[in-house]
Amino acid sequence: MDRTLKSLSLLLSYPTVELQQAMPEIGGILAADNRLSGPMQSALRPIVKALEARDIYDLQEEYVMLFDRSRTLSLNLFEHIHGESRDRGGAMVSLVETYREAGIDPISSELPDHLPVLLEYLSLQSASEMREVLADAAHILETLNVRLTRRESNYNAVFAALLQLSGATADQGAVSEMLAAPDDDPTDLEALDEIWQESEVTFGPDPNAGCPQVRDMLTKMDVPINPAPAAAE
Amino acid sequence: MSHLLDRLNFFQSKELEQFSDGWGQVTRENRDWEDVYRNRWRHDKVVRSTHGVNCTGSCSWKIYVKSGIVTWETQQTDYPRTRAGIPNHEPRGCARGASYSWYLYSANRVKNPLIRGKMMRAWRSLRKTLTPIQAWTKLQNDPILRASYVESRGMGGFVRADWDEATEIIAAANAYTAKTYGPDRVFGFSPIPAMSMVSYAAGSRYLSLMGGTCMSFYDWYCDLPPASPQTWGEQTDVPESADWYNAGFLLLWGSNVPQTRTPDAHFYTEVRYRGTKSAVICPDYSEAAKFGDIWLAPQQGTDAALAMAMGHVILREYHLDRQAPYFEDYARKYTDMPMLVVLDEQDGKLVPGRMLRADDFKGDLGEKNNPDWKTVAFDEVTGNVVVPNGSIGFRWGEEGKWNLEERAKKKDVKLRLSHILEDDFDEIVGVDFPFFGGQATENFVKCDHPDVLTRNVTVKKVKLADGRDVLVATVFDLFCANYGLDRGLGGKWASKDFAEDLPYTPAWAEKITGVSADKIIAVAREFAGNAEKTEGKSMVILGAGLNHWYHMDMNYRGIINMLVMCGCVGKEGGGWAHYVGQEKLRPQTGWQPLAFALDWNRPPRHMNSTSAWYAHSDQWRYETLSAGEILSPTAPKGDWDISLIDYNIQAERMGWLPSAPQLKTNPLEVAKAAKESGKPIPEYVAEQLKSGDLEMSCEDPDAPENWPRNLFVWRSNLLGSSGKGHEYFLKHLLGTQHGVLGKDLGEEGRVKPTEAKWHDEAPKGKLDLLVTIDFRMSTTCVYSDIVLPTASWYEKDDLNTSDMHPFIHPLQAAVDPAYESKSDWEIFKAIAKKFSEVAPEILGVETDIVQLPLLHDTPGELAQPHVKDWKKDECDLIPGKTAPNYVAVERDYPNLYKKFTSIGPLLEKLGNGGKGINWNTEVEVQHLRDLNGVVTDEGISKGQPKLNTAIEAAEMILMLAPETNGEVAVKAWHELEKPTGRQHAHLAEGAHHTKIRFRDVAAQPRKIISSPTWSGIESEEVCYNAGYTNVHELIPWRTLTGRQQLYQDHLWMRAFGEGFVSYRPPVDLKTITQAVNSDEGQPHVVLNFITPHQKWGIHSTYSDNLMMLTLNRGGPVVWMSEIDAKKAGLVDNDWIEAYNTNGALTARVVVSQRIKEGSLFMYHAQEKIVNTPGSEKTGHRGGIHNSVTRAILKPTHMIGGYAQLSYGFNYYGTVGSNRDEFVIVRKMKNVDWMDTPVSEATTKVEAGT
Repeated sequence: MDRTLKSLSLLLSYPTVELQQAMPEIGGILAADNRLSGPMQSALRPIVKALEARDIYDLQEEYVMLFDRSRTLSLNLFEHIHGESRDRGGAMVSLVETYREAGIDPISSELPDHLPVLLEYLSLQSASEMREVLADAAHILETLNVRLTRRESNYNAVFAALLQLSGATADQGAVSEMLAAPDDDPTDLEALDEIWQESEVTFGPDPNAGCPQVRDMLTKMDVPINPAPAAAE
Repeated sequence: MSHLLDRLNFFQSKELEQFSDGWGQVTRENRDWEDVYRNRWRHDKVVRSTHGVNCTGSCSWKIYVKSGIVTWETQQTDYPRTRAGIPNHEPRGCARGASYSWYLYSANRVKNPLIRGKMMRAWRSLRKTLTPIQAWTKLQNDPILRASYVESRGMGGFVRADWDEATEIIAAANAYTAKTYGPDRVFGFSPIPAMSMVSYAAGSRYLSLMGGTCMSFYDWYCDLPPASPQTWGEQTDVPESADWYNAGFLLLWGSNVPQTRTPDAHFYTEVRYRGTKSAVICPDYSEAAKFGDIWLAPQQGTDAALAMAMGHVILREYHLDRQAPYFEDYARKYTDMPMLVVLDEQDGKLVPGRMLRADDFKGDLGEKNNPDWKTVAFDEVTGNVVVPNGSIGFRWGEEGKWNLEERAKKKDVKLRLSHILEDDFDEIVGVDFPFFGGQATENFVKCDHPDVLTRNVTVKKVKLADGRDVLVATVFDLFCANYGLDRGLGGKWASKDFAEDLPYTPAWAEKITGVSADKIIAVAREFAGNAEKTEGKSMVILGAGLNHWYHMDMNYRGIINMLVMCGCVGKEGGGWAHYVGQEKLRPQTGWQPLAFALDWNRPPRHMNSTSAWYAHSDQWRYETLSAGEILSPTAPKGDWDISLIDYNIQAERMGWLPSAPQLKTNPLEVAKAAKESGKPIPEYVAEQLKSGDLEMSCEDPDAPENWPRNLFVWRSNLLGSSGKGHEYFLKHLLGTQHGVLGKDLGEEGRVKPTEAKWHDEAPKGKLDLLVTIDFRMSTTCVYSDIVLPTASWYEKDDLNTSDMHPFIHPLQAAVDPAYESKSDWEIFKAIAKKFSEVAPEILGVETDIVQLPLLHDTPGELAQPHVKDWKKDECDLIPGKTAPNYVAVERDYPNLYKKFTSIGPLLEKLGNGGKGINWNTEVEVQHLRDLNGVVTDEGISKGQPKLNTAIEAAEMILMLAPETNGEVAVKAWHELEKPTGRQHAHLAEGAHHTKIRFRDVAAQPRKIISSPTWSGIESEEVCYNAGYTNVHELIPWRTLTGRQQLYQDHLWMRAFGEGFVSYRPPVDLKTITQAVNSDEGQPHVVLNFITPHQKWGIHSTYSDNLMMLTLNRGGPVVWMSEIDAKKAGLVDNDWIEAYNTNGALTARVVVSQRIKEGSLFMYHAQEKIVNTPGSEKTGHRGGIHNSVTRAILKPTHMIGGYAQLSYGFNYYGTVGSNRDEFVIVRKMKNVDWMDTPVSEATTKVEAGT
């Protein structure tokens, strides 16, 4: 088992007293893994330390606020890919089937696309599969990293670490698209205004547009078939 | 020869080989694409379910499941067919339902039980050393600990809990509350059982076993039209939507069918192809307006004026100048129009008084049983006063004469409608009628006619038993006078000319409503003309738009009168269709024993929510409307100018309305004291109440003993959707951040109530515990102390019915509940189990005293022919007669769980029934034993039928209800034959052996069986239509006269000017004060605030769904006319703030030609959890639509103990109207999203190392 991935899975799970007690060990594993750079190892230290030392209720309240209550920080990956589309059901079905093909059965009440679930699965798979799957999700990991950094949450380091393990760099295009999309980041007023802006509704073809047939047709329609008597004189 | 020439280099044959003599070929096409297609549509199973939201749609859906995950849903199309010539009900569904599977896996789903962190911290530390009960006791008695979580309601800070811990806290809180204050301090609010009846029953069964209070909803939502019980003695009964197809003329009045009744709108489209005409009446150019052959757009709130004018035209042309024979015959047989009314002398003038009764005459006209409840009329044949069959006096205490046969004393009679025709009258006298048109505020057209209009009426002189000679008139003659019709009797306030500006002519109505007189006349003529030709096939579909005004009864009665004048009620294709609030729980009598635990103890505690919330969220402390303002100028003498809450208190102590809590002293303690005194409980309580040693809770709602302490909210979004006076809820009931901008009566030095005790300091945070059960994090969840995750509609077994179609169909668990959620049934079962474990520390087998009001459909409805208040020494306090009854109920708290999970013995002992009839049901209980199995564990429930699962609960409903068990239906009809003396069982005989089970409805929706619970029938000849059995089976309406009651003769009705219908302008709520208006001199507008049903959600559900948000504008919006927008300097999509003394809300503005100048639309219910910025006015998060409203009570809705005006749960009582409200609207200067935590310390991540 890849104990680093397993550790990161735990870091993103709901904080419990048991987790707090295991934090020294988890911290040790993360500090010893040389796939993570020196700066990355020190970036992980605040969250490791916080989980170990802070009041459990504060940690839990914060976790619920961040991951259970904020849609844009959801740990269910398909929230960010499929959102409320009905494709989400199908995608989850494939993921469950992937788990089962690997010979393990999900038993948690969490959905299959829950990140800690996925990480635990990956901790049992080959390094190459792990890198491949994480690289596929790189843009989501990076987006969550940015959003958490904005919120000054030190959970951000976990996502940065996952990115590093994937060996991939997130596609900046995809990341900025996600960050610009209907985000419940309420500080960015201009972006919000843009989302709310409705395009003007016009009826019929635009006579000034490029299509000459339409233009001609409309011009023709302007000429009355039976001219008014006065005009006919 | 080389092969080079024969071989293709650049192409290859598509064909591999041939077979079947060249008729078939095998090709080499790639068929991988088929896998994609097959996988896309591959599923393990399809399960039938529905969306149990508060929607009349009640559409059955196919749910597709693969690997235990819901993949998508499609509409079911297998409803039983309608009969030939009428379109079918399917397909049913709309965009909202189709977007549902999102909710299952949404990021907004509640995944685990959540508890406010501060409460959890305290609880765990206390629980280290204390028992659950001790821990809760300590938490409540430590003011700092309690305040720590109370004051942080609505500000985040949840932690996860497991079920064991969450249910333990709840059970301990409930037990502590029952022991300390009384079980009636545990409230539960859940609406519209029809949408998921087992889920509703789960909570109400738990509460009813404990002695907790079940809160009503239909009246609180203001969907209950009190005009219906007033006129018909029926909560609401309406035609199924297929019956629209039988109508010849359809009037849509304030109902937006295509938008809000989407699955049924096709009938409306289709019937126009049959040639049916349609008129649409609504102030805005709604989606329905486009369907109308004619569209009338009255100013909002003036519908009654329009209805009065149409009634004026119909009476003139079809009843007076010419008597349409069908209309006249209908009026005589099915309405109170021939009944006699005494004219009372008042300051030398005459006003309509009580209806004359048999006991007013010498020898009671030979009536021994209830002569004081038998109304009288003149017989045309003999000219004598007779006591015709069917009045309510015949319903109780005798058999065989409670029917609408034209008979009296076993002789045929023909009742006289009017004294004018044969010149058979003694005198022509002037009678005073109140006129309210002059009371309009500056926002509506004010009439300059006087407030009392004297009109001439023909009368007869009658000698009474007390020797008095009195003048009497028929209801019909008074009715015509009230409509201002000149019948050649002279006088100033009657007219023959539609163009004269006199109340209630079309010309007068044009001035008030803005609708031209010729259109009013045209629609009235076509409506009546069609009804005459088709014998009543003119129908009105009316919507909440009319019912949410303070004077909603005038709107409704105005319209009902039109229908009754034209003989449309009870006729297929005719009548009223009020589809507001899915009130039709078809198997109601099967459901009630389950829901209110009537199998274990009776009666349950029911409360009318409007009065309760008005008192407990302290909205009464801010009352701006005085009774004097709404009193009739013709009111009988009396002490009428008291506060609205004082009226409610009088109503409670006279037994008219229920109370919650009931007594200031814990009822468990009162029962003990009664036992010690050796007196029977009713006698003891009466004595103590009279001496003042015992107080009713209603007299002092702010005393800590009288606060509701625990509140369960399930299947509901009380705070995000229906909570009129939202900010008052936050301030007083919850005790957290709020946006109330006005001051209370004390602070403003205004007149205080005389009966309700005033505390200078208003309580804040009355609730000890707020528990919400939901699958999504709604506004109510956000404010709760404990949030429990419930199974969604594809994850539980349940039943669903609607008034729009006659089918019953299920919700089913297509998949297991996601995350940690459980079905409502399992949740309350778990709480019940925990309660039985925790409670015995302080509670054993106790005696509880339940205070019971005088109920409709029981002999109690004959309790008070005259209004007498025992507290004013006008009569003695007699429980069940002049006051509520006090009934001892045993509560076996340690065995609560055993009772919850089994069907108790009372059904076999006392039978089952509803609406005034009762039948033996031993057979059905035995069938349930056979079907569900029996409890084998030792103890109280041994040998009783099991009730463990939701399906077993559903079977109980189906087995006991006449609608789903033909054998019971036949029994029930036979029971009704006793009072009516007529044959009815033929209506169900054909279905005698039909027994619908849960698995049957899982296979296909099933049509229900005709039952006396409802006034329509299920048949192959007619569609379901309300009032059908009254007209065709001659079963009386459950009113005073047994007929459609157009004259309301109760003292309070007369005092408040509603004996007859009239136009009453919206009331002045005075919420736009100088103090609150901070925009004086800045661009702003003051607009009437209207909250119709929306297109992008069903109430608040779906409205937070990204698809619906995308179709709408992505957050809260209001709609405004272009003219008003210009005045306020607004352009489309600007952020606005709308406020008044009640609070403030923030939203985007949609500027549209559709909206009438002077009004502001805000579709309810858009939650404050999505894209709602902070309010500049309150400094807090912008509110919801109800932040600018406040509930206001109406005394006429409190009447009780008087025939149809008697209390019933969701049947009669005060209603939460909200449309008379005005708001100041202006552009927002700064849009602040308030996205930083309220308290930095608790929610922000600690920075650094």
